[in-house]
Amino acid sequence: MLKTAFLTLLTLTIAIGGGTASLWYALRTPDGVGAVTIGGWTAFPEIGTPNADPYSKARVARQGILSLGRAEGLAFVADRDAGGAPLRRECAYRIEGSTPPARFWTLYAADGAGRVVNARDGRASALHSLELLRQPDSSFAIAVDSRPAPGNWLAVSGSGAMRMVLTFYDTPIAGSTGIAEVELPLVIEAGCDG
Amino acid sequence: MVRLLHAVLLGLFGAGIVHIAILLLVPEMAERDAWSRMAMASDLYRMTRIDPEAGGPAAVGSVDPLFRAAACRFDLSDGVVRVIAPGNVPFWSVSIYNRGGQNIYSFNDRTSATGLLDFTILTPAQMIELRKDLPEELQQAIFVEAPLDEGIVVIRIFVPDESWDEVVSRYLAGISCTLI
Repeated sequence: MLKTAFLTLLTLTIAIGGGTASLWYALRTPDGVGAVTIGGWTAFPEIGTPNADPYSKARVARQGILSLGRAEGLAFVADRDAGGAPLRRECAYRIEGSTPPARFWTLYAADGAGRVVNARDGRASALHSLELLRQPDSSFAIAVDSRPAPGNWLAVSGSGAMRMVLTFYDTPIAGSTGIAEVELPLVIEAGCDG
Repeated sequence: MVRLLHAVLLGLFGAGIVHIAILLLVPEMAERDAWSRMAMASDLYRMTRIDPEAGGPAAVGSVDPLFRAAACRFDLSDGVVRVIAPGNVPFWSVSIYNRGGQNIYSFNDRTSATGLLDFTILTPAQMIELRKDLPEELQQAIFVEAPLDEGIVVIRIFVPDESWDEVVSRYLAGISCTLI
C-alpha cells in the first residue's frame, strides 16, 4: 500500500515537476525554436505572428512583447563574438563587414536582460546607418568600446554580459524568403580590460 | 524494481503531457501580456507612449533607443477606428496586434502616397458597409481590414539624433485614435 502510494507520488512529481521545469527552461533559452542563426547573429523572423511556433507564442505572451512587423523590420542579436566567446561589456570589439539591403539599420548594446547599455556622460547609446562613416567601397567598421575610439564609436560602460542588437528597418529580408543567404557583419574581439 | 521503472517512465510521459499542456495554455492565461500591461496604463482609444524614454510599460513596444513609440487599444465591435497624425517625421511604421499581442498587419511611411499617417482600421463587414457610401474625409485614408474585435495599434518613429527628440515627441502627442 505504502509502496503504491510512493510510486504514484513519484510519477506525479516527475510529471508535474519535469514538465514545468523543462518548459521554463525552453522559454528562457534565447535561441530556442524558430530562431534563424547567421554567422553568430540570431533572429526570430516569425515571432509575434500568427504563424509562430507555440514556444514563440508563449514567450510573447509571457513577456508582453509587441514584436516588429514584417513591414517594420527585423532584429538580429549576437551574444558571442566571431571566435565563439561570450560578449562582455569590459571588452572592446570591432564590428565590420557588410549588411543586407535595408532603408536603414540601428545598432545598440544590451545587457543580459535585454536592457539598453547606457554610455557614460550621456552619450548616444546607439548608432544608425545614416550617420555612419564609411570606406569608399561603402564597407564600415564600428568600435564598441568603453573608451573613445576614432571613426564609428559605440560607447558602452560597466561590466558583465552583453548582446549586440542589430535591427534592419524596412528591409526585404524580413519577408523571410532568402533570409539564409543574408550576410551580416562580424563581431571581432579587440582586447579586454584586466 | 520493474515497478519503479514503470513509475519513472510513466512520470516522464506525464512530464511531456504537462509540458505541452502548459505551453498551449500560457498565451491564454498570461496576465502580463501587452494588452494587460497597457490596460493598467491607459484607457481604450487613448494614444499612450510605450517607449522606455517616456516611462512606458517595460518591454512592451520598441526597446531600440533610437525609436519612440505610442500605442492605442481599440475594440472594433464599438465601431471603426481612425488614426491620424499631423506633420512629417523621418520614418514611421505602424503595426496592428490582436488581443493576444500577435502582429496581424504592419506598414510604413512608404505605403502612404503622401507620407502622411492617416489610416482606418475596420473589420471586413464594416468595410463592406463603408464602401457603400465613402465619406469625403476618408478618400485619402489607408484602410486596414482586420478580422478582430479587440486590438492594439502601435506607431513607431525613428529618432536619428537628439535634435529630433522634441519633434518626434510632439508628433506622437498629436496622434489621435478615435472612433468614427
